[in-house]
Amino acid sequence: MKNNPLNKRFVRDLRGDLGKYLAIALLMTLTIGFISGFLVADGSMIKAYNESFTRYNIEDGNFRTQKKMNKAQWKSVEGLGLSLHENFYREFRIENGSTLRVFRNRDEVNFVCLMEGAFPAAPGEIAVDRMYADNNGLKTGDRIRPAEAVETQGGGQPEGTQQAANAQEGTQQAANAREGWLITGLVALPDYSAMFSDNNDTMFDALMFGVAVCCEEEFAGYAEEGLCFDYVWKYDDPPLTEEVEKDRGEDLMKDLMKEVRLESFVPRYANQAIRFTGEDMGSDRAMMQLLLYIMIGIIAFVFGITTSNTISKEAPVIGTLRAMGFTKGELVRHYMTMPLLVTLISALIGNLLGYTALKDLCAAMYYKSYSLPTYVTVWNGTAFVETTVVPILIMAVVTWVTLRYSLGLTPLQFLRRDLRRRKIKKAFPLSSGIPFFDRFRIRVIAQNLPNYVVLLIGIFFANVLLIFGLALPPALDHYQEAIKGNQLADHQYILQIPMEAMDEDHKLKSAFRMMEFMSGAETENETAEKFSAYTLRTPSDGPYRKEDVMVYGMKTDSRYVEGIPSSEKSEGPQVLISSAYSDKYDIFSGDSIVLQEKYGSEKYTLRVAGVYEYPASICVFMEQDALNRLFDLGKNYYSGYLSETPITDIDSKYIGTEIDLESLTKVTRQLTISMGSLMYLLDIFAVLIFMVLIYILSKIIIEKNAQSISMVKILGYSGSEIGRLYIRSTTIIYAICFLATIPGVTVLIRYLLKVMIRLKMTGWIELYVDTPVYVKMLLLGTVSYAVVAVFEYRKISKVPMDEALKNVE
Amino acid sequence: MFLEIKEIRKSFGQGDSRVEVLKGIDLSLDKGEVCVLLGPSGSGKSTLLNIIGGIDSADAGEIVIGGEPMSHMKEKQLTMYRRRHLGYIFQMYNLIPNLTVRENIEVGAYLSDRPLDVDELLRLLGLWEHRGKVPSQLSGGQQQRTAIGRAVVKNPDILLCDEPTGALDYKTSKEILKLIDQVNRTYGNTVIMVTHNDAIKYMADTVVRLRDGRIRDTVRNAQRVSAEELEW
Repeated sequence: MKNNPLNKRFVRDLRGDLGKYLAIALLMTLTIGFISGFLVADGSMIKAYNESFTRYNIEDGNFRTQKKMNKAQWKSVEGLGLSLHENFYREFRIENGSTLRVFRNRDEVNFVCLMEGAFPAAPGEIAVDRMYADNNGLKTGDRIRPAEAVETQGGGQPEGTQQAANAQEGTQQAANAREGWLITGLVALPDYSAMFSDNNDTMFDALMFGVAVCCEEEFAGYAEEGLCFDYVWKYDDPPLTEEVEKDRGEDLMKDLMKEVRLESFVPRYANQAIRFTGEDMGSDRAMMQLLLYIMIGIIAFVFGITTSNTISKEAPVIGTLRAMGFTKGELVRHYMTMPLLVTLISALIGNLLGYTALKDLCAAMYYKSYSLPTYVTVWNGTAFVETTVVPILIMAVVTWVTLRYSLGLTPLQFLRRDLRRRKIKKAFPLSSGIPFFDRFRIRVIAQNLPNYVVLLIGIFFANVLLIFGLALPPALDHYQEAIKGNQLADHQYILQIPMEAMDEDHKLKSAFRMMEFMSGAETENETAEKFSAYTLRTPSDGPYRKEDVMVYGMKTDSRYVEGIPSSEKSEGPQVLISSAYSDKYDIFSGDSIVLQEKYGSEKYTLRVAGVYEYPASICVFMEQDALNRLFDLGKNYYSGYLSETPITDIDSKYIGTEIDLESLTKVTRQLTISMGSLMYLLDIFAVLIFMVLIYILSKIIIEKNAQSISMVKILGYSGSEIGRLYIRSTTIIYAICFLATIPGVTVLIRYLLKVMIRLKMTGWIELYVDTPVYVKMLLLGTVSYAVVAVFEYRKISKVPMDEALKNVE
Repeated sequence: MFLEIKEIRKSFGQGDSRVEVLKGIDLSLDKGEVCVLLGPSGSGKSTLLNIIGGIDSADAGEIVIGGEPMSHMKEKQLTMYRRRHLGYIFQMYNLIPNLTVRENIEVGAYLSDRPLDVDELLRLLGLWEHRGKVPSQLSGGQQQRTAIGRAVVKNPDILLCDEPTGALDYKTSKEILKLIDQVNRTYGNTVIMVTHNDAIKYMADTVVRLRDGRIRDTVRNAQRVSAEELEW
């Protein structure tokens, strides 16, 4: 087989156009490296996560009772085909305002993974969750102390952590006396890979909520009244499919309710603290793959353009080669080699970086959000295919299509440089009233229109990345502000009816407790307003992630939620939906919504009479009487109070939860922590794409005009005048493209985020893009462009004057 | 006859703007013959050369080379025909800028089953000292010599030259013509050369004069004059 002498061009091409190839290779290496690193870290961690179910013997579910179960109850529950294990815990509010949930170290179920240091062996020692320690600046050997001042209600206490306040008294005896605990180790609890303090929370909280384990003796020192009686179970014969697991879970709940009074019931399939991590890592993978293919698409597109430019530059040579007898296929293969070679080299270096430095960077991103056990890097064949084989295939297809098209002309057309398939019949007229330089620039722009279309598409892609990177942090701030300004009331209390008041086996006692509750839960606070609440969820057969929807029952003349519609004369219940609900699912006044019982199959169709401005949560407001009737709660039923001022005259034991600003904004805190570094990376990517695209495209435009530039140089035009003609044309187009893409980019990114939130998250955050974001985009874009323009200006000054005189037929 | 051109017609454009460039050309050439196509601009000589070279197609007529008719050939067959039988020399050299003189010639050799010895050819063309240079380091004459080397190294049956001296000065033009003459005498290829330089006709066996798309006259020289002796 003969060695094709054309192959000797490759290395020389590379040397001759080093800037272009380096720019593209850098972009591709970083993209592939980052995504390969991500997929390797993700794959290794998912493997570790999946293995953790057996390795750490993760529970099949847990439930909480208000009182410790007695032996008889224990026996009957275990008779339901499962083994039961205590998983009691106690919550402490820590000096920095966070909440720490402390368990006894486990030896039967949910084994703890020790990541650093040692397990606590003596009273006064503790091993805290590794992520909680990282996010709160704690390390082994530090001391951690409960808060000195104990607030019994509100004031920065996260939702679902009432026990923290209740337990505080006991804590003072235990921890304060010893000046807190000594951190002996950092651990990961397999049942808390995502820090959901409450399974109903919209988002986990990796900053203000943490878990820890202590030794048996330490735990024995905690007073029983401060404990949460959480039990975990393992089925004797584990269900094999998720459907069977769900059926068994539902049956088990019914059976348990006959035995004990449940405070919570969370089978493993519904446990966000266990499942969320796996689901999130899986969907992150999909997002990263999408990002990879978009990036490779952009790079292939750039290669397509540069290749097509090379074809036009080398047209007479190609014509000669074709006339000599080189086939189209041989030339297609020849011109495909460089893009494929650059892709291959970039992919290999990218993968190398991915498996080394970048993998750790990506793993660190996960470790910032999730408390995962230690993982071992595993060779990921799929990741290699996705980051090497697929990009090469994409590149091959794009360049092949471009080349087949570009090289589809006859040898004669190449020889005559007659490369346009559609010929421009005549120049369009321009008024001589337009100054000469402007007319010249208009001609330059018209001549290079196809390249500018490419520039427009490139800027669109880059802006999508840039806006995503720049807009999310301020959008989170805006969300927080919007919530602050649109709370239903400054204070929202959900009451907790004592379990004894609902004990059907001891009716007299329960009636007495209920009366006690009724009087104890009344307040004199004049700003307080009673409301009913009932939790439904979005239907299980819907296309999006299921989520809880709180239905508020309000008075029609409520001072907190105006415009509650009366359901009296209407056929079905009339409701207002929160603006978050409306924005997330595009539901408006006049539409109907279908919601389902949280633990049941009954569905309710509610007619939307309006949208109430409440961005904090997905909820529904209706007339209180109608709600009580609809859910059969009794005429005088109410669940809590909305109030302008703190309610201080209710016994704290009757207050289950206070929903305050901090609990409502948990989601923004978490997103800021977990996505902060990703945003930063996206910004870098976007700026890189900007620079590479503008560099390559303006380089192409200058190369295409080299002959004209050379000619005007001969005529005596100065460098700055030529710059005004050629670089300013690109500048004008760049500015127009930049501004023209902004509305489209904003719409697209809002749409993508909406789809992502619908599929992945409960709750809603509107992507609010304010002016400073656009200003920042403009600044970044301008600086990128200015850097490239300086390079290009230098390039223009180097165009030789004999360019105009050579190779012209 | 080695090359037979029968009733070739070619026109460009449509409707009122239709121009008939070739109006029925008939010509026959023997193997190893040197033929010069003469004529003013627009007479159709380059179009005829391109049709013979298979890079343009005729509207009617037939070309038969070595008994092989071209009219029914598809694009791939035409490419293979060019690959096997033809060498092209253009007015512009169209060399590959980042390949050396030697490598540019090797590009031609790559296409042939029976290429000439590249070193020998480099010496014949007077390019031995320049073999390691890239085109931008060469003069116009040296570049055209390289282009000739690239076309000849294939050892083609027919060497098609489209105004090979059109961009060169008198002295260099004579050198190039000498080379073409020498190549023809050494390797026995048929040479068809398009030119508007009347003086070149004396180095040909056959001189075809075209005007307005027709052959005005065909003259067979009894004796070829060496390129050295040409004057214009």
